[in-house]
Amino acid sequence: MSDLSKIPIHTEKHAPEEARTNPLAGVFDELVRFAQSRSMYMLHYCTGCGAIELPPAMTSRFDMERLGIQPMVTPRQADILLVTGYVSVKTLKRIILTYEQMPSPKYVIGICSCTVNGGMYWQSYATAKKLSEYLPVDLYIAGCMPRPEAVIEGMRALMANIQSGETEPWKDYYQRYDYYLGNQQHLFGDNWQTPTDVIGQAQHYGLAGPETEGEHTRILQQYQQPLVAHKLRLK
Amino acid sequence: MSLLDALLLTALGTLIATLATVRTRWVGYVASLGLGLQLLVLFLLAPLGYGAPAVTSGLAWDLFGQPLVLRYDAMSWYFALITLGAGLVSSVYATGAWSDHYRAAGRSPGWLQFALALNVFTMLLLLASGDFLSLFIAWELVSWASFLLMALAAGPALKWSLRYITYATAGAMSMLAALGIVFHLTGSLNYADFMAAVDQWSVGLITLLTVLFGAGFAVKMGILPFHLWQAGAYAETPGPGMAFLGAISSRMGLYGMMLVWVQLIGLIRLIEVHIPLTFLSLRDVLMWIAAFTIILPTYTALKQNDARRLLAWHGIGQGGYMLMGILSASALGSAGGILHIFNYATNQAVLLLAVFAVVYRTGTADLNKLGGLFTRMPLTFVAMLVGIIGLAGIPPMNGFVSKWMVYRSLLSEGMPLLFVASVIGTLGTILSVYKLIHNTFLGQLRLEHEPVQEAPWSMVIPMMVLALIIFLTGFMPGIVLDWVAAVQAAVGLPVLPHTLGGVADAHGGLDMIMLVLVLFAGFGVSALLFYATGRSEPVHQLDNYAGGHFLSADVRYHYSDHFYAGLMHRIGHWYRGSFLWFESVVASLASFLAQWSATFYRLMQPALPMLAMAVIVLWMVS
Repeated sequence: MSDLSKIPIHTEKHAPEEARTNPLAGVFDELVRFAQSRSMYMLHYCTGCGAIELPPAMTSRFDMERLGIQPMVTPRQADILLVTGYVSVKTLKRIILTYEQMPSPKYVIGICSCTVNGGMYWQSYATAKKLSEYLPVDLYIAGCMPRPEAVIEGMRALMANIQSGETEPWKDYYQRYDYYLGNQQHLFGDNWQTPTDVIGQAQHYGLAGPETEGEHTRILQQYQQPLVAHKLRLK
Repeated sequence: MSLLDALLLTALGTLIATLATVRTRWVGYVASLGLGLQLLVLFLLAPLGYGAPAVTSGLAWDLFGQPLVLRYDAMSWYFALITLGAGLVSSVYATGAWSDHYRAAGRSPGWLQFALALNVFTMLLLLASGDFLSLFIAWELVSWASFLLMALAAGPALKWSLRYITYATAGAMSMLAALGIVFHLTGSLNYADFMAAVDQWSVGLITLLTVLFGAGFAVKMGILPFHLWQAGAYAETPGPGMAFLGAISSRMGLYGMMLVWVQLIGLIRLIEVHIPLTFLSLRDVLMWIAAFTIILPTYTALKQNDARRLLAWHGIGQGGYMLMGILSASALGSAGGILHIFNYATNQAVLLLAVFAVVYRTGTADLNKLGGLFTRMPLTFVAMLVGIIGLAGIPPMNGFVSKWMVYRSLLSEGMPLLFVASVIGTLGTILSVYKLIHNTFLGQLRLEHEPVQEAPWSMVIPMMVLALIIFLTGFMPGIVLDWVAAVQAAVGLPVLPHTLGGVADAHGGLDMIMLVLVLFAGFGVSALLFYATGRSEPVHQLDNYAGGHFLSADVRYHYSDHFYAGLMHRIGHWYRGSFLWFESVVASLASFLAQWSATFYRLMQPALPMLAMAVIVLWMVS
């Protein structure tokens, strides 16, 4: 429970980046962030009972779409991953697979108390207690279950964070991949792997840092069976 | 000796040379060379395609006191061009690696090439026929040549080709009856005498002749209800043979219809024939038959799981568009119908060649056992993609132009219901060609198809050439419309004013050049966005699906079986097999009559029926 303090809180201010020389660059970045915050496709990974609050939030009564939030059917086109409820070990594998399939920038929202600390499944041997140990969570919406108003409140907070450029835990996943992978390996065993080349993506985005690779990624490399895309072949 | 003699003699020479080398490895090259030479001679005859006066052969001779006239006009040239093009492409395709494969399977590529050359020769002869007698003789030759090609692959092919020849013989008998009536009435079998006499004939007689001739041609064309033989017979024909048959062979029926219905009888007379107790003319009835020929076979194609069957059923359906366009009798519609012959031939040929390239590499045309071959056979994929875009009638390929012209004429001629019918048919076409390309090339690559390679060049090059023709004649339909206009003039239809880009019309024509350029500008913008940003990352198919499941290559997650289950839930119960039932009824009836008359002859005085037959024959001849 003491780790709760490490959960990112949106009131924290990040240090300002070094000043950019092009005055229009900031305008463009703001425009992009504005557009990103107003067009979010969410993949609601309905793991538990919190999912039942999403239909009213999405449909005519609370109407999330007025905020630019729509459900999306595939992870490849989604921006937000909603994890709605308790996360069993088996489910967590799927959540991580889905998260890694999503293109960056991507945001994770944990809904319900169960994603915060296991909730009423605290004593369960098969439940991952804290989602943020395995994935970089942008935002928790606590409650058992949170009402649609609370869900929308959380979404608005996320939107504000995206627009102000304060919330970038998806970078954290690349920068501290070894930490997340270590927790995943602790739960799933040493041969745990997904098809996604996270380290390669970290280098692609220029986010590979000292903590991207470590002892756990070395274990991963021992077991990894890469899934290489089919190449067009003329002969 | 005219150029037409040179053409027919080259065709005959090709046939003999192919026969002489039928057991050697060179037969394919000989046949391809011969067909290429014929195409060359046909190009020398090209003025015909632009409206030059007909060329008569010096090879005329008499039979039973009837002069046999051989001549080529614009329509013959147009059909001969498609015939020779399809023949050459099929022959080249069947020559290289494919023939080794075919020989290794214990078959003889030589006889296939011979059958192809024979088909081409008989069809060129049919197109040259300048009177009813030579038409009938060449018609029979074409039928038996097709039978040879269909029956080459024994086994189920034999059953289907026998079914074909049964239909074809019945059709020929119907034509023979019509010939008898014509000879009885005019005393000659010349086209000119027929055209001179047709003015005085009664409505009933014209209807009878239209139907009798039409039945013979409809069998070849696969017009409802004579279509049941076609899909099976074509699908069992070996690869390039099927491409040839599918592309042009059944259009010989359309040639006959254009000759007899349009040129000799005249569509205006068919429009004047009113069907009693209805508000329909004979022409309307024929157009509705064409409409049902579009819809029913196309939706039968939708249900096929064998790529060859699927395309063969389309061949029947697309024939309906051509017939409907021509029967619309307007400049635009008939040009669309005639143009569709060319366009469809190119589309069907490229599709079938692509399908057989897949069969060559994977050994199956079963759409439930393929998938994901795009990365393995990209050129074949491109060929099939071009083909399905053309067949479905979507710009920028040529199929769009002809279908647009047919639709447009149906609307402007005040036939909205027929328009709706043909659009329903197009919907079925789009659905089923999507099924074809999806189940073959898209989706999950099967584990056993991982090592599959692109088809050999001898097969890819004909496909690429056809794909290029499809695009070019879609981009500049005026090239073909020149020939189409000459055909219209030759058969007495109003001539379509056209430009290189399409149709010139004050009320909204079609300019494919502009349309294609706009389309490609759109593609260009998308391509610019895609390549300039440079952020794409190729991922494996197994890493690309929702649901968070960990997939492995040995598990099928891409379901192609029972494609369009939702649609079939709605329309599945409409497939009743009524035509099969009708066919079996007719067959039972014929068999019953045969048995009954055999019994009658045995039991009664044998002389009596002979006497009756003699009286009937004498009455008919007198």
